[in-house]
This record gives sequence, structure tokens and C-alpha cells, in this order.
Amino acid sequence: MNGLEMTYPATRRSLPLWHMLSGSGKLALLILLLMAGVALAAPLLCRHSHRIASGPALAAPSLVHPMGTDELGVDLWAQIAYGARISLLVGAATALLAGVGGAAVGIVSGYQGGLADRLTMRLIDILLVLPDLPVMIVLAAFFGPSVTTIIVVLAAFSWTATARIIRSRVLILKERRYIKAAELYGAGTLYLLRRHFLPEIFPLAAVGMIRLAGRAIVAEAGLSFLGLGDPTSRSWGLIMHHALSFKGIYYTDFWKWWLVFPWLALTLVVTSLALLGRDLEKLADPRIGRS
Amino acid sequence: MTTKRLLLFSLLLFLVAACDREPSERPKAQDSTQKCGAAPLVIRLEGGDWGYPSPFAHYPRGPGGFKMALIFDSLLERDEKGLIPWLAEDYTIQENGLVYRFKIRKNVRWQDGKPLTPEDVAFSFKYADRHAATWSYIHESVQEVSADGDTVMVRLKEPLALMLDSLGRTRIIPKHIWEKVERPKEFTTPEATIGCGPYLLTEYSKEHGTYRFQANKDYWGPKPRIDSIEFVPVSEPILAYENGELDMIAVTPDLLPRFTADPANKIVRNPAFWGYRLLLNQKDLELLRDVRVRRALVYAINRSELVEKIERGAGVPGSLGILPPDHIMAVGDIRQYPFDPAAARTLLEEAGLHATGGEALRLLPSGEKVSMELLCSGQEVRMAELLRQWLAEVGIEITIRSVDGKTRDDRVRRQAYQLAIIGHGGWGGDAGYLVSHLVGDVFTQDASPSASGTAGLVNPELLGLLVQQNVEVDPEKRRQLIGEIQRKAAELVPEIPLYYTAGRTMYRPAKYDGWINMFDHHSLQHSKLSYLERTGPAAIRR
Repeated sequence: MNGLEMTYPATRRSLPLWHMLSGSGKLALLILLLMAGVALAAPLLCRHSHRIASGPALAAPSLVHPMGTDELGVDLWAQIAYGARISLLVGAATALLAGVGGAAVGIVSGYQGGLADRLTMRLIDILLVLPDLPVMIVLAAFFGPSVTTIIVVLAAFSWTATARIIRSRVLILKERRYIKAAELYGAGTLYLLRRHFLPEIFPLAAVGMIRLAGRAIVAEAGLSFLGLGDPTSRSWGLIMHHALSFKGIYYTDFWKWWLVFPWLALTLVVTSLALLGRDLEKLADPRIGRS
Repeated sequence: MTTKRLLLFSLLLFLVAACDREPSERPKAQDSTQKCGAAPLVIRLEGGDWGYPSPFAHYPRGPGGFKMALIFDSLLERDEKGLIPWLAEDYTIQENGLVYRFKIRKNVRWQDGKPLTPEDVAFSFKYADRHAATWSYIHESVQEVSADGDTVMVRLKEPLALMLDSLGRTRIIPKHIWEKVERPKEFTTPEATIGCGPYLLTEYSKEHGTYRFQANKDYWGPKPRIDSIEFVPVSEPILAYENGELDMIAVTPDLLPRFTADPANKIVRNPAFWGYRLLLNQKDLELLRDVRVRRALVYAINRSELVEKIERGAGVPGSLGILPPDHIMAVGDIRQYPFDPAAARTLLEEAGLHATGGEALRLLPSGEKVSMELLCSGQEVRMAELLRQWLAEVGIEITIRSVDGKTRDDRVRRQAYQLAIIGHGGWGGDAGYLVSHLVGDVFTQDASPSASGTAGLVNPELLGLLVQQNVEVDPEKRRQLIGEIQRKAAELVPEIPLYYTAGRTMYRPAKYDGWINMFDHHSLQHSKLSYLERTGPAAIRR
């Protein structure tokens, strides 16, 4: 059992990531890279401003406005391209913050044990019990709408899962014979961390972070959709919020572009993240990989 | 497995509950239409809870107050043209507007059969002076009320031009019921809805938001034309109208093509008496004290495009005379401000705000950027974005600060803003509201956001005119004063009315075609005369 666990990830990891992904995983990665490209190159890709009206209000998709315009006459393609920046920023920043934070807490708590461990675990229990979306709504309403608030609030609620997984991993690793041996030979904590723990933990943390990114993007869109996001930003959730605030939108044709395109972008990114996360999970967790 | 069963069970339970509720409401409606030979006319309108329809317990917005008014009459009523005598057959104003004498109609009975006397009227005024009704007009402004024969005399603490309107609107309540009531807001027994109006309340459910009003057979005045008015809850008004479950709905411009082709529908434009204005806080921002800067702001903002984009054309661009064009006292010959960014730039240059070295933003003489904070609520963010875009084009930087509606109202009241967008109704009401719009901070602070004025404008001439109109009881003289105030306001630009909404209402005339708009209000279903025959005191005036 021990031998298997030690060698298995090593052999799989020697292949490049691309070849280890399934078909859907590859597609997901491509879509995510494409979205990231669109977000980065938004100024080059958009002919029109994402803030200022550039055409007639509620124009249907055409050559000039590939995704049509909203009720102010602002180009939707530009809004979606720039909106990708917000969504990906929220996703990446939350994942990084919560992932790194969660991993650090998990390592300390697992390796140190004792009172620190017990305290963090109870804190995590409390946070797990709290329903996160309602609390996020309250906090977002309290701190006022801004992208930073959303990132911080999301991160504050989502580090717990990663911390628990990492802690349990560290607890297992700590008892391994080669770690014990290294400790006997006088290896310091930092050396052990760098040399033995981090390589084992990193895949797990990465999977956790990808999952978090997906959740964060949806949560941001959800909060914006409820009108709790930064009202002057151009996030996807907010585009949908404005579209649905338009009275009787379903009795007109406008929803076909005003609502469908941001929804599509959001669904694509979140689904891609989920698919990629699933593939990476298989790679990182040998139990799932084998079944 | 057990969870699945549990789920299935609860689903079944919900289904049963849902099925149970539906038929119990439907047959009742059909019953009432099939009872006797000539089918009674039942009109169904959109419901929702607007409070218990007594003068003290209803919610302050329109739908609450006008339901209450179906049950309770007042001394004067409103038709398309103005005030008409109602419970008061006649009135006189004496001592320069300090004393009002109302001759009370005879043979009026309360809905419980007891006669209405001038004593009841006097009691109602005294009671309204003591306890503020939800729609309070005369709270703490009456010196003395007395009933003598068939006349009621009201002496005010001080003369006020809009007092005829205020006294005329105050609901008359039965003394024999209310004299025992010390906490009117908590008095919600069936007795609390005994009035002398054309309709009786027969059903009210706070939870479901339903009301049912039945015609008062013994009504003293014009015969009620509708036998029963039902306010029913609907989630999708448009579908409900198409299915015949509702008899009147509001239509947005984009939905018009769906309905205009069918001659069975009649679509009318509401008078534009609900508006948005941009407040300019001259106290906080010194820059705004220069009339050239204020005028430049007006020139830079495309009010017509706001109507086109935000309301999809269903509105009227703001008039700098404040009163909307549909208002009975609005004057046309005021200074006009078409959308003209070039004129705005010239005015800003004249005011000493220059854009140097190809910079997009103008600078103050001190070297700082010309930048203003625009306060708005979540609903007005789109409008704020357009304003930011237009003002950026003339070199003014706008930072949008969006807060929730209540916070915005509160900050406006405390005058903690630089620019603010605020929207409210009541623009069709007595022109006396010009006082609060033009110099809100000079007069007493009112609790209602619609009474919040632009802060900081002090113009002795305008103040003089406002004080004069406040006590002028001669209608023609007052009309001239109000006209003069509008001209002055358009010169001084104390605030910028952005636009007045003018939505459309649709109904089926074949079923009922008695709907009218009161001269100062925007909703057909809020007029009492919409439900009555146009005879006697309600006869159509030519």
C-alpha cells in the first residue's frame, strides 16, 4: 500500500500535463486559456468601448456589434471581454488567497498538532456550519459593493475545505517512515516542508484552488446579479442583473443576446473549471485515479 | 432510500396543498358573476399588500391610499380638471385664507346606517390635527374647528394657499367609532373601515395581498358602476392580462406592438407626474454656486436621450421650470436648454474652468481637477452612467456612488452629497411643492424625500415670490406667481429635473370604459371617479 502510494504519482507526473488530461479536460483547458486571452487582450479585440454607448440601444447582433448592445447602446462583446477580467480576477485571486491560506493553515495545524490544531479545527467547523451565500450577501451589503470586498469575503469563507484536506494529508505524511528517518537525521521543519511535504501537497492544493475558482466566479456573478456587486463594474453577473431588471424582457427579443451571451460566457468558464478540476483530482488523488 | 421517500412524501404534500388552494378561489369569482339576472360587473386589478385600508393604517404609497379612498369620502374630490365639491356642497374662504367654511351635504349615511353630520366632519378635522393620518395634510396646522348648523368652520394657525386642497383631501371618519380610538394606527377591526364612500371592504388578506370591494348600495352620490373590485395577486401581470385574469396593466414601450394590433385593448399614456431630478448641493460644492456652471450641466446632459434609453421613450424630458408640462400650472415661456455640449464648454470656460494642454478634464483655478461625486441608488446606476459619460465630454469628472435607496434618501435629507439623483411621484400635486424643490433648506425640513430641496440657493427675489404664493388664496394671482417662479427657476437652475415618466396603461374598454385620470395624478385606477357614474357632483365638466 505504502509503496503504491509513493510511486504512483511519481510515474504519472513524469508525463506532461497535457497528455494526462482527458478529452473534456483538454477542451476545458483550451476554453480557459482562450478566455484568459480574451480578458488580457480585451482592448485589442474590441472595437468599441465597454463603458460608453457606441450604437443604437438594444441592437441585435450584427457585424458592427457581434453580440448586440444593451439598453444604453453599449457594445456587449466589449462588456463581456472586459467582464472576463473581473470574473477571472475574482476567480484567481480568491483561489490563490484561499488556497494558499488554507494550505498554510492545514500544514501548521497538521504538523504542529496540539492546541493550535484543535482551535483551527473548531474554527473550521464553525465556518462550515455557516451557510456561506447568505452570510456573503450580508457582508457584501455591509461592506459596500466592490470587487475587493467580494474577493476577501469569498476567500474568508472558502479556505476551510482546502485546510482540512491538507491537514489530513500532512497527518498521514508525518507518520511515514521516511519522514521519521529524515527527522532522526536532523532535518529541520523548513527542509521537510520544502523537500517532502510541499511536493505531496501541491497537487491537492491545486485541485482545491481550481474548485474554489469556479465557486468564486459563480458567487461573484450571483452577488452582482442580486445587485450586491460593484454597480458600475461590467461583470457578467451585473450584465445579467441589468438585463433582468429590464421590464418584460422575456416578451421581447432582447434576452436573446443581452442575457444569453453573458450567461454563456459564465457557463463556459465555470464548466471548464469543473471539468479541469475533475481531471486534476484524478491525477492528484490516487484513489479516484484507480477506480 | 428513506430520504428519497421523505422527499417524495413532502412533494406530494405540497402538491395537495397547492391543488387545494386553487379551486377554492376560482369558483368564488365565478359565483359572483353568475348570481343574478344581469351579471354583476367584477373588475380585477393587480393586488399586493398595501396595508389595512383605514386612513391611518394603509401604507403611504399610492395603491394603499387610493384603496382607502374608495371607502372614505372627503369634502372635495378631484376630477380631470381640478377640485370638485363632494361631501361639501359649497365652501368659502375668508380672512385672507385664514378661515374656511364648508357647507356639508345632507342625507349622507355611514356604511353602518348612521347619518353623517357636520359634527362628524368637525371631529375628523380635529382628529386629523391631533393624529397624523398616513396621508396627513393638516396635522398640527388647525387652530379651531366648529360645526354650526350645516356648516363647518376651520380656522388655521396661519394662512396657506394649498390648505383648500389639504382640507378637501382629509378623510371624514365617523365620530361614533373613532372618538374611542386613541391609537388609530393600531385600530384595524372591521369597524375601522366604515366610511361613507361608494365601496365597502368585504375581504382583505395581508398574507395574500388580496382586497375585495363591494359597491355601496346606499351611497349618497353618483351610483357605483362596478359591482365588485377585486385586487388579486399575480406574478406575471402580462400573462394574467392575456388570460383575462386582470383587467388593467401597465405596458412598457417594447410590449406595445404585442397589444396595439388588437382593437379590444385600449392603451392610454399616463400623465407625467413621476419624475427624477438631479440635486446640486451648492453648500457642499462651491463650484456649483456659479450659475454658469449649473447652466453648463444642463446643456451637457441630454435629457431626451435619458428618456429614450432609460424609459424606452415613455417619458417627458425634464423642464427647468420644475413643474412637468402636464401640470395644470406649468408655463411654456421659460428659458430653454437644448442638449448642447459646445454651449456647456463655453460656459465652463467663462466660469474659469479651463482644460489645459489637451487634457480631457478641466481644472479649477487652484489646479485641481473638476470632479464631482454623484450619489444615486441601485436603480439609478444606469442613469448615473449616462450622466458620467456626458459630463466627461465637457471635461467634468463624475464619481458614481451607489447606495441603497434608503441611505440615498437619508443623505439627501442631511444634504450629505454633491450631486444626487432622486426619483419620486407627486409632481402633479399643488405647485406649493416648488418651495421645497427650490429652497428646501430655508424652510423646515420635511421627512419625505420628495420634499428635500436643493441646498444652498439663496435668491431674495425667488424667496419673495415663494413666500407670496404660499399665502395667496386668489387662484388667478397665485397662478401668475407660480408662473413667475418657474421662469425664475429656469434662469437660476437650482436643480435639474431629468425627466418625468409617462408609462402606458392598457385595459379592455368592452368590459369597462369608465377610467379617468385625476388632474394631478398619474394612475387611472387611483381615481375615485373611475368607478362612479358621471352624474350629480361627478358630472363631466366641459
